[in-house]
Amino acid sequence: MTALLDINDLRVTFNTRYGQVTALDGVSLHVNAGETLGVVGESGCGKSITALATMGLIPSPPGRIAGGSIRLDGEELVGARPSRLRAMRGADIAMIFQEPMTSLNPVFTVGDQIAEAIMLHQKVSHDQALKDAVALLDRVGIPSPKARVHDYPHQLSGGMRQRVMIAMAVSCRPKVLIADEPTTALDVTVQAQIFDLLNEIQRDFGAAIVLITHDMGAISEMADRVAVMYAGRIIEEARADDVLDFPQHPYARGLIDCIPALGREDHALKEIPGVVPPLHLLGAGCAFAERCEHANERCRREKPLLVNHDHHPAACHAVEEGRI
Amino acid sequence: MTDTPDYKAESPAREAWRMFRRNVPALVGMVILAFIVLATLYGTFFYSGDPYDVVWAPHEAPGVTPEYPLGTDYLGRDIMAGMLTGGGPTLAVGAAAAAITMVIGIALGSLAGFYGGWIDNLLMRITEFFQVLPALLFAMVLVTLFEPSLWTIAIAIGVVSWPQTARLTRAEFLRIKELEYVTAARAIGARNMRIMWKVILPNAMPPLIVSATLTIGIAILFEAGLSFLGLGDPNVMSWGLMIGANRDYILDAWWPVTFPGLAIFFTVFAVSLIGDGLNDAFNPKLRER
Amino acid sequence: MSSSYILRRVGYGLILMLGVVVLNFLLIRLAPGDPAVVIAGEMGGASDEMLASIREEYGLNKPVITQLGIYVGNVLQGDLGKSFFFDQPVSSLIGQRIGATILLVITAQILSILLGVFLGVIAARKPNGVMSGFVSVFATIGYAVPVFWTGIMLIILFASVLPIFPVEGMQSVRLRSAGGLTWALDVAHHLVLPAFTLAIIYLAQYARLSRASMLEVLGSDYIRTARAKGAAEKTVLFKHALRNAALPILTVAGLQFGNLISGALLVETVFNWPGMGRLAFDSILRRDYPTIMGVLFFASAMVVVANILTDISYRWADPRLRGKS
Repeated sequence: MTALLDINDLRVTFNTRYGQVTALDGVSLHVNAGETLGVVGESGCGKSITALATMGLIPSPPGRIAGGSIRLDGEELVGARPSRLRAMRGADIAMIFQEPMTSLNPVFTVGDQIAEAIMLHQKVSHDQALKDAVALLDRVGIPSPKARVHDYPHQLSGGMRQRVMIAMAVSCRPKVLIADEPTTALDVTVQAQIFDLLNEIQRDFGAAIVLITHDMGAISEMADRVAVMYAGRIIEEARADDVLDFPQHPYARGLIDCIPALGREDHALKEIPGVVPPLHLLGAGCAFAERCEHANERCRREKPLLVNHDHHPAACHAVEEGRI
Repeated sequence: MTDTPDYKAESPAREAWRMFRRNVPALVGMVILAFIVLATLYGTFFYSGDPYDVVWAPHEAPGVTPEYPLGTDYLGRDIMAGMLTGGGPTLAVGAAAAAITMVIGIALGSLAGFYGGWIDNLLMRITEFFQVLPALLFAMVLVTLFEPSLWTIAIAIGVVSWPQTARLTRAEFLRIKELEYVTAARAIGARNMRIMWKVILPNAMPPLIVSATLTIGIAILFEAGLSFLGLGDPNVMSWGLMIGANRDYILDAWWPVTFPGLAIFFTVFAVSLIGDGLNDAFNPKLRER
Repeated sequence: MSSSYILRRVGYGLILMLGVVVLNFLLIRLAPGDPAVVIAGEMGGASDEMLASIREEYGLNKPVITQLGIYVGNVLQGDLGKSFFFDQPVSSLIGQRIGATILLVITAQILSILLGVFLGVIAARKPNGVMSGFVSVFATIGYAVPVFWTGIMLIILFASVLPIFPVEGMQSVRLRSAGGLTWALDVAHHLVLPAFTLAIIYLAQYARLSRASMLEVLGSDYIRTARAKGAAEKTVLFKHALRNAALPILTVAGLQFGNLISGALLVETVFNWPGMGRLAFDSILRRDYPTIMGVLFFASAMVVVANILTDISYRWADPRLRGKS
């Protein structure tokens, strides 16, 4: 069976003032209907670029999809006509963004913005679309939706705006819903509510969800499978439990160690030393080598491939050689 | 995209100068302006002549008589002589008016921004009042009431132009006075005057320098407009006056109005290229736009 | 939007206008010489009876504060004094001409905003494209050209080389008595060059401003949201982006209005357009102060009205400001 969304060997490059850099270097991912895939990694690792590429929204120039394929339900999106991509955006594949405060247009009412999403893909009147918008607002848990539909974004709280974004994203019952750090900008209590809502939505609508986050807690709550990204590559991929319980790649281990766990003996949180290297400074070897305590000559010279190990696939020479 | 910080530390002024040097339009502006300033300062050493003297037949076309390369005007006065002597007053009034504008604007704007409260309220109401008066008309009234001379013209232009500078200064003071180093200066007991002039003002300078440059351009256009209307100093030849004097004969001869107009244009053009260059140099982020 | 806001805004406008009246009063008193002589203007030596009647009318023998009261009272009754040169009340002199000025200024304003915004939006689509370069260069040139000189150059061009537009006045002599559509078309024909001359400076500035504003807006998150919905590029540009980018343009359009009137003054003089600017020029040459002060008053009133309209439309255009004071 082919996956609903199947990304294969995706390469995205950007022209910067440092020359051309490779933002995604052979990313392969898939997600099945009704499944939630978590994509984790620090900022700058390529999570959001993957999402934008899937939406066909890589800003071009300077960006460009340099190779690979993205198939939605078997249909190739890389190189598809812009009009075809436009028809699929919002209808078959939709996205929720990180910043609910700025992702809604300040000069239109939330009802109009949801109605627009509906009318772009369905032949309905504005009145009908507004009625649908009220129902959607109700569905995403916004109290007195009939009144709120005429509100402007600035009249709503951050959590409410993110609910509006979700309502807008699911308005055409997309097959795939990409959520790019949907709770990062929100209060902790609101975060949990939004995750609950996403889970409900998935149950009701049967959409596949790609959840992009740097929060391993969110992964443990939401994801069925996890892909860990680092510097434009997938470095580990497995069922969520496996990655959480038996992380292989030193970077994945670092991320897990960053989770503040209740009842763990050492309360001091570990940090991964250093930062993600700038893309234009990536060398021939493993991008994580500079920050890795297990790195050796081979790591600095040769890029590790994502291959199956004891538990699940990881891209690490140290794991492959049994050094850790 | 990850952006690497530049690790080399550089003082902001040096960095701005480095950016400015690489800005081709700004350098072109510098060259044009330098040429115009040198021509108005020293041109008469090489080409002497009184712009008021009737030297030749009226409306001699440019290039016909070698002695008068730009031709003569409706009275037979040498246009080249007017071009070389007419720039001085325009540039002087432009610079003086810009200086007056900046002094008034910075003084009022810094008081309003620094002290806030009723002082801010009062000064801003005054500023709004002055913005209601159409500047050129107000300047015309002032110049007529107080007898035109280069100084009254410069003062009149300054009096009608300061509100924008005041608003800009106020906004900068409002922004900067909340920053940590101002709090630090307060904490060590610096007096208000010291904080205003030694701490805040230097940090507000970049936008003010850009604004001052653009103000020179506007002041030059102002002076040209007043002279064109015949409201300039009647004893001083200027580019605007040349256009105004010849404007009834434009259908007989295009050159007496065209050359002074080009001179005004290139002067303001050069100044605004420099202003844009300074703006880019002080705000590197905007360059990518 | 609350009507109390509009009332407050209009009230403030009236206070500003009162300020202009007081300023006018002060200017005449501050001018060197006898105010009565200043008011009489350069009539080649005003007669003693005339000076006496001026002193009587303006109460110049009374204390200054009483004089101010008399002056303000007169203005409130619509009496801006009398022009001794034209031998007419100032208010009727201006009344005959203010329409021409408003026509010129409004046409130029609309022309410059529409064309400028259009150029700016096109340029913003490709920030490094040819159109962007053109807008930048054009904006710098438009800013640097003296407006009266643009007018003169256009007169030379259209009077001798390409005589398709009239270069002088507001209507043709032979059509002076024509009515209705013929008259309107004739005026519009005469309006082309003055309005374009005046518009060109601001057109360039609006183009530059709307390009910058559009570029900023196009980088914002809600534009990405609009694209993610599947909106066509045209919708993104002209609906989602322009509605937001228009806000700073509106602000500048309000602030520019005073400059536009200043420019109109020069343009009217160049094209012999029978408006207030032409009147101001004529009366300044004759030192006809009551008329000059009247023009200053009415021109300021136009700016005040424009500012009020701008503020109100800004609140209408930006929902975040509605209902706030």
